[in-house]
Amino acid sequence: MLRPFRLEEPESVKEVSELLGQFGESAKVYAGGTELLLAMKEGLVHYERLINVKNVKGLNEVASDNGMVRIGALCTHHQLETSSLLQQKLAALVRLEQRVANVRVRQVGTLGGNLCFAEPHADPGILLLALGATMVAERASSKREIPAEEFFVDAYETCVEPDEVLTEIRVPVPARDSGVAYLKFGYLERPSVGVAVAFQVQESERSIHDIKIAVGCAGPAPKRVPEAEEQLKGKSLDEATINISKAGEIAGRAAQAISDLHGSQEYKEHIVGVLLKRAFQNALSQYRAGQS
Amino acid sequence: MQFEKEVEIQVPREKVWNFIWDVDRFVACVPGCKEAKTIEAGKLYSATMIEKVGPFRVEFPTTIEVLEREDLTRIKAQASGADNKIGSRMKLSLDVKLREQGEKTVLGFVAGVDILGKLAALGHGIIKRKADQVLDEFAQAVKKHLEGDS
Amino acid sequence: MSKAMLGRADAQTIPLSFTLNGRLQELAVEPHELLLDVVRERLGLTGAKRSCDVEVCGACTLLVDGRPISACTTLAFEVRGRSVLTIEGLADDGKLHPLQEAFIEHGGFQCGFCTPGMILAAKALLDENPNPTEEELKHFMHGNICRCTGYKKIIESIMAAAKFMRGSRA
Repeated sequence: MLRPFRLEEPESVKEVSELLGQFGESAKVYAGGTELLLAMKEGLVHYERLINVKNVKGLNEVASDNGMVRIGALCTHHQLETSSLLQQKLAALVRLEQRVANVRVRQVGTLGGNLCFAEPHADPGILLLALGATMVAERASSKREIPAEEFFVDAYETCVEPDEVLTEIRVPVPARDSGVAYLKFGYLERPSVGVAVAFQVQESERSIHDIKIAVGCAGPAPKRVPEAEEQLKGKSLDEATINISKAGEIAGRAAQAISDLHGSQEYKEHIVGVLLKRAFQNALSQYRAGQS
Repeated sequence: MQFEKEVEIQVPREKVWNFIWDVDRFVACVPGCKEAKTIEAGKLYSATMIEKVGPFRVEFPTTIEVLEREDLTRIKAQASGADNKIGSRMKLSLDVKLREQGEKTVLGFVAGVDILGKLAALGHGIIKRKADQVLDEFAQAVKKHLEGDS
Repeated sequence: MSKAMLGRADAQTIPLSFTLNGRLQELAVEPHELLLDVVRERLGLTGAKRSCDVEVCGACTLLVDGRPISACTTLAFEVRGRSVLTIEGLADDGKLHPLQEAFIEHGGFQCGFCTPGMILAAKALLDENPNPTEEELKHFMHGNICRCTGYKKIIESIMAAAKFMRGSRA
C-alpha cells in the first residue's frame, strides 16, 4: 500500500517546472515510476504530490539530425530497444536497452527517469558517458545542456535542479571508424558492474583516437576514467591491446567499488578489468566489421 | 560496519580533550548533527542526526552514552537512535583514543555503525559510503576547529 | 468507492474506465491505489499474485494493451482508456487458451503460484514473436521467476503452444 498523494497532470514542461517550484520537496516528477514507486512502497520517501509528466507532448520521440541523435526523456526502454533509427545509429544503446531489468520494467520505465533517479546499479548512464552524451534540462523559461560528466553527482543525485525537468538526451552519432561496446555483469536483480568503451580509429595511422571509458554500478555514480583512457589514446591497435590490462586495473580502482552483497571490492575491481578487456575486443571487432 | 580514522591535530592533547567535552563546539563538527543537549555532563547526551542521500532523508533522535573514560587518553561511547517515519534504527559504538606526539595530538577512533530496518534497503554499499563520508568530515572538522583556534 | 476514501473528505478521485478481459469497467480510484490491489481486492480477480512486490518476480504480471506490466508497481489510474488482460480472461468462454493447454500437457507448473504471470508473459511473447528461438524465449521470460519447475517444462510448454498456434494459423 502506498500512502495517499495528490496527482498533478500538467501538459507542458513550463507547468511541470512551475509545480516543482511551487511545491518543492513535497512534489516529485513521476513518469514510469519503476524506481520511484518502489521507494515509496518501501516507505523510504513520501511525496504529497506526484507530477505525472506523461501527458506532456513531444518528450517521447527519437529523432536524428546533423549527426546527433535526440532521445526524448520519456522514451521507454521498450521504445528504445525497438527503435529502428537507434538500431541504425546507436546499435550499442539498443543492445543495452534490450537488457535493462526485465520486460515489464522496460515496458514502462523511461530513460529520463532512469537517469534522474540515478540508482547506482543502472546501465544507461555508463554508455551515455562513453558516447559523450549531453542531457537537456528545462525550466519554465530556460534550457541548458549538461554534459554527461557533470550530470551524475553521487548515488541518487544528479545536477538537475529541483525545478528543472530533464527533457532530452542528445548523443552524437559515432563516426564510421568507431567501435562502441557496453558490457555488464551481475547475477542479482540489478547489475553489479558495468563498463562502456567507445573509440574512433584514425585510419591513416591505425591508432586510437578519441577514446572514452566509463565505469559504473560498482560505485555510487557512473564516471569516465581519463587515466585509463590515456593508456589507449593515440596507441596503435596492437599497442592498445597490450595496454588494455593496465587500463583495466586503473579503471577497476577508479570504480570506487565497495564490498557488499554484490561482491567484494577486489572482486568488482577485477570484473571491471575483465569487462573492459572484453568490451574493447568487442568494439574492435565492430570497427573491423565496419571496415569491410 | 567498522571504520577506523586517524587525524593529526597540531595542538596539545589537553586542548583536544577539552574540546571533545565542549558539547556545542564538538557537535558542530558532526555533519548533520543538531540540537545537542547535555542530559548528564560527562555521561549522557542527546542530539538529532539528520542525513541525506539523494532524495532519502533520515532523522534520528539520538542518545549518546559515555561508557568509559580515561582522562586525556580514551573515551568509549555508544549512541542509538530511531527514525520511526522510515522504520529504521541506528547504532553507533565509538572508541576514541588520544595520543601525544610532541606538540601534536593524534586523534584516532574506531567506529562501529549499524543501520537496521528499511534504510538498509538502500544497500550496504551506499550506507557504508555515507557513514565513511560522515566520519571523514567529522575528523577533518575537529582538526580544522582546533587548529583554526590556536 | 474504495475503503481508503472513508473519512477523507479531501481525497482526490480519478474516474477509471477501462476494458477488463474484454468488458468495460468503470470505477473511481485514488491516485495511490495500485493496479494489483484494484484487480485483486476490488474486482476479485486473484490470479495475479503479490509476491516480491518489487517488479522482479513477475507473479503480478498483467497485460495492458497486450504488453506485460508489473501490477504491483503500477498505479491503477494508468490503465484508464486501455485494455487489461488477467489470467481469468484468457480462456475463451470456457475453452482454454493453447498456452493453458500446453502448460497442463507439458507440466509447466507445480504449485501454480507463478503460473498466471508466466502464461500472460508467454502470451505477450508469442503475440510479439510467434516463432521465438529458445534464446529469445528465455530473454523475454527472464523476468518471470519460478521456484518449482526449474524452467525446463515451462520452456517446453511455451514452445509447444507456439507451435500449435502457428499451426492453427496456417
